[in-house]
Amino acid sequence: MFTHNLKYSLKILFKNKPLIFWTFAFPIILGTFFYLAFSNIEKSENFKSIPIAVIENEELEKNEIYKQTIKTLSEDTKKDNIFTTTYVKKEKDAAELLNQKEIVGYLILTKTPKIVIKKNGTSETILKQVIDKIEEKSKTIENLIKIELEKNNGKTIEEIYNDTIKEVLETTNTSNIKDITKTKLSYTVIEFYTLIAMTCLYSGTLAMYMINKCLANMSSNGKRVSVSSINKGKLIISSLLSSYIVSMIGLGILLIFITCILKIDFGTSITRVITLTLVGTLAGLSLGTLTSVIIKTNENTKIGIIIGTTMFGCFLSGMMGITMKYTIDKNIGIINKINPAAMITDGFYSLYYYEGLERYTNNIISLLAFSATLLLISYLTLRRQSYDSI
Amino acid sequence: MTVFKTYIKVLLSSKFTVILYTVMLIIFGILNMETKEVGTDFTSTKPDILIINNDENEGITKSLIEYISNNSNIKEIENEEDKIADALLYRDVNYIIYIPKNFRKDFLKGTNPNIEIKTTEDYPSQVANNLLSKYIEVAKTYRSHINNEEEYIEKIEETLKTNTEVEIASSLDNNSLTKAKTFFNFSNYTMLAGSIFIICLIMTVFNNETIRKRTIISSTNYKKLNRKLILSNSIFAFTLCIIYIIISFILVGDTMISSHGLLYIINLFVFTITVITISFLIGKLTNNKEAISGIVNVIALGSSFLCGSFVPIEYLPNFVTKIAHILPSYWYIKTNEEISILENITIETIKPIITNMIILFIFTIIFIIITNIITKRQRTIA
Amino acid sequence: MKKIIEVKNLTKQYKNLKAVNNLTFEVEKGEILGLLGPNGSGKSTTINCILSLLNYQEGTITIFNEKMTPGAYEIKRKIGVVFQDVAVFEELTVYDNIDYFCGLYITDKNTRKAYVQEAIELVGLEEFKKFLPKQLSGGLLRRLNIACGIAHKPELIILDEPTVAVDPQSRNNILNGIKKLRDLGATIIYTTHYMEEVEILCDRVIIIDKGKVIASGTIDELKELAKIEEKVTVEVTNLEEKIVKEILDFKNVENVTYTESALIVIYRKGKNNLQELIDYLKKEGIKYNKIFSERPTLNDVFLELTGKELRD
Repeated sequence: MFTHNLKYSLKILFKNKPLIFWTFAFPIILGTFFYLAFSNIEKSENFKSIPIAVIENEELEKNEIYKQTIKTLSEDTKKDNIFTTTYVKKEKDAAELLNQKEIVGYLILTKTPKIVIKKNGTSETILKQVIDKIEEKSKTIENLIKIELEKNNGKTIEEIYNDTIKEVLETTNTSNIKDITKTKLSYTVIEFYTLIAMTCLYSGTLAMYMINKCLANMSSNGKRVSVSSINKGKLIISSLLSSYIVSMIGLGILLIFITCILKIDFGTSITRVITLTLVGTLAGLSLGTLTSVIIKTNENTKIGIIIGTTMFGCFLSGMMGITMKYTIDKNIGIINKINPAAMITDGFYSLYYYEGLERYTNNIISLLAFSATLLLISYLTLRRQSYDSI
Repeated sequence: MTVFKTYIKVLLSSKFTVILYTVMLIIFGILNMETKEVGTDFTSTKPDILIINNDENEGITKSLIEYISNNSNIKEIENEEDKIADALLYRDVNYIIYIPKNFRKDFLKGTNPNIEIKTTEDYPSQVANNLLSKYIEVAKTYRSHINNEEEYIEKIEETLKTNTEVEIASSLDNNSLTKAKTFFNFSNYTMLAGSIFIICLIMTVFNNETIRKRTIISSTNYKKLNRKLILSNSIFAFTLCIIYIIISFILVGDTMISSHGLLYIINLFVFTITVITISFLIGKLTNNKEAISGIVNVIALGSSFLCGSFVPIEYLPNFVTKIAHILPSYWYIKTNEEISILENITIETIKPIITNMIILFIFTIIFIIITNIITKRQRTIA
Repeated sequence: MKKIIEVKNLTKQYKNLKAVNNLTFEVEKGEILGLLGPNGSGKSTTINCILSLLNYQEGTITIFNEKMTPGAYEIKRKIGVVFQDVAVFEELTVYDNIDYFCGLYITDKNTRKAYVQEAIELVGLEEFKKFLPKQLSGGLLRRLNIACGIAHKPELIILDEPTVAVDPQSRNNILNGIKKLRDLGATIIYTTHYMEEVEILCDRVIIIDKGKVIASGTIDELKELAKIEEKVTVEVTNLEEKIVKEILDFKNVENVTYTESALIVIYRKGKNNLQELIDYLKKEGIKYNKIFSERPTLNDVFLELTGKELRD
């Protein structure tokens, strides 16, 4: 009877179009949206060249250092050019560009450099820093020439001047600053973590649907099943198992879609990814079971509740912007400690981002505890087999 | 009036769903705005830096640390792999500098010891990187010319003191405008999801009812009913829209009272009209209650992701923004973006905004025409 | 006779409504027992209590000589239930639905196959095996609903209003099917508020109102309860008041009413009542369109006992 119910439950779930939409098609559609929306963001965040304007006045013409440096920094051929520079003759034109939001700010060179910007911001800060740096270079050159002249080692002023400029402009630092950041967590990957978390939890709709069909006080099918000679416990477990199998097939398809078609890299430990997905789905199923058992309303509203809860959980764990996860984690951490979507997302994070497995294991344990709690409440409610009213 | 009464009845019968949906969407909007990183203060764009010094805190090492400290917020975090990873993950620090052992000695000797760093790879970390490289660079240039360490450090510090004059040429409160923009951009999702969901829900109920009624009442009455339905739906959508506006007043009141705020509101109203016609069209096309939430999510999330409601437009790949042109949301969001950077409001400057609104109107008209064609078809078939 | 079900002093109290009030009755092997009562009289509640779906405050329920509990799977194995609401899976075909529910009782595949086939034939759904429930008309859906409940050949079949909103053809099919099941040896409880069905179908009837048994017995026994024996209706216009009064004085006449060209004469007992009336009308020279006599119905019995109509 166990396998009989299992077999038919699978058939029922696979033929239920709305449920299959939510657990199979919707995650893939959403994944495609993510892919489209976020495929560029990585490059943008790494660095985006800042548009500026420079006034071409006499001072600039005289100041070789400024002229050269800005030119170098704006070169398109360099991979990470900091500036995209427009040269204008009059300040009025630069002001106009600034008003049009074509540029972030502009530079006028008088005795000292001055930059004009529109607002406070990071790009503006970088502009200022770079100009500061150029100014420093000029100053360094000035100082060095003085020092060299004092040393009086037989060079002509011309020679000293040229050598110093050459030396200063050629001195760079980059070679001995070494970036040892282990893993760079990409936004896109994070989005896909929340997507998988969502799909895991959506499997709750499957469990809810099947359990509803087992309960006399929830559906007329439940009445019929309840008066039959099948053991209630057996019935529910086999129904749950069927939703678990269907969910895992859905998640399998999603994982394949993400890794093989969208080519999102999840790191190496595929077994751990699958383990987390399995446990996450269990959490989703227990959410669905509890919804089915304790809330007495029609099926569509129950689906609405599960989907709503899941979306909200995913939102808090960073689906619509990762800052949300940081803010919640830092300020009201408890919320994401009990939010299954956050546990799943965080589990993926830790796999990708941390050396040790401690955090990953913690998340797995939290998810199991979450599921156990929900299932226990469901069990206690289900133990009563006759109802006050149906 | 009876239509409206029935409408309210249907609405009340699913009040739980309606309230849940509305409240959730609005909370989404608020939270989204509150947590978005908006432009920070010029002087305070100081990166959060962690310095792990393995050298003695003396001489040039001390000077380097002092220089970094003066220009950033120094964070104290235990030197543990996981703690540091956490800090980077949560952006508690943007940049970590590991000063190697014997840095001072080696550096003065003329070798260039490696300074290891970890970075979050965002703008603040870039600023931090500039600070560090600037110091090293200046230090390197003076190194071969000055032998006395004290004098050497003095020269470095003096050189680094330079400060460019900065003029801020704007009276706009950019922070608040950007916040308002974020909030209104998100409303693209709220309006679409909320209106399509509720309007479709009610339309399916009415569609079933009208099938029965159609045989009883004359065709003119049917048209009337349609018109009344549109009116009732509009009332719902505008209520949602007004709730949203009221909240925007609570959150960013000062911006909303200005003429910029008025433009945001007008834009949202124009968009709401388009949303009503979209919802009505979808309601006409679907008779299946179960399918509604699926359709709603695909359309609302789709246009929000593709048109820049969640991810700023400038971050979207070019081909996506090109596709987005065929969606009304794109024009709504584009207008919001333009409002947020509008310096002074004149006929000339708001021209692009008006163009966008006209495009939205054209969308509205197209949707109405399609709805009418479908209604006619459905009637002749029935 | 062997007792299949014994219900003793059953009381079920909802918050502020006593749905079943000290109800006692028995069901004997091989009979079709009709539970008759208006909507809301407590029929379904009684059935749900018997099946242990609902808990109850007082009373005992014994089925096949054993106490019925939610976990009494051995008893449940021998029962088949058809509920008022159609309970089938939208996702499964007619065949699969019957097979699924049958499979909750019968594990052996071959036996089940035969049983399902028999059930399909019994309700006449052979042509619709591959259909999905939503493709079936209301009547066909009811037939499927019944097939799902009885496919495992239970000894006891409980049908709760299986013919609500069913077309006449399907109704006949259903009623014939139930008779066939009885002939095959099943004991049947049939609840309804259609007295005609009870009269056609049931061996014994229990009439319930407000959670209480108000009468029980065979159809004939129940009809005895009604004080009336015969109801004669005469379609006649412009009848004088005097005539009506004279008829009222006839031997055996219980009551006479005259409204809108219909004269209704109700007789207590006695013979040749109709003949007497016809003779009288002839004598008085009264012309009438139609005259007909009716035996009392269960509705009249119900009316007699409760002072209200059976149907709403």
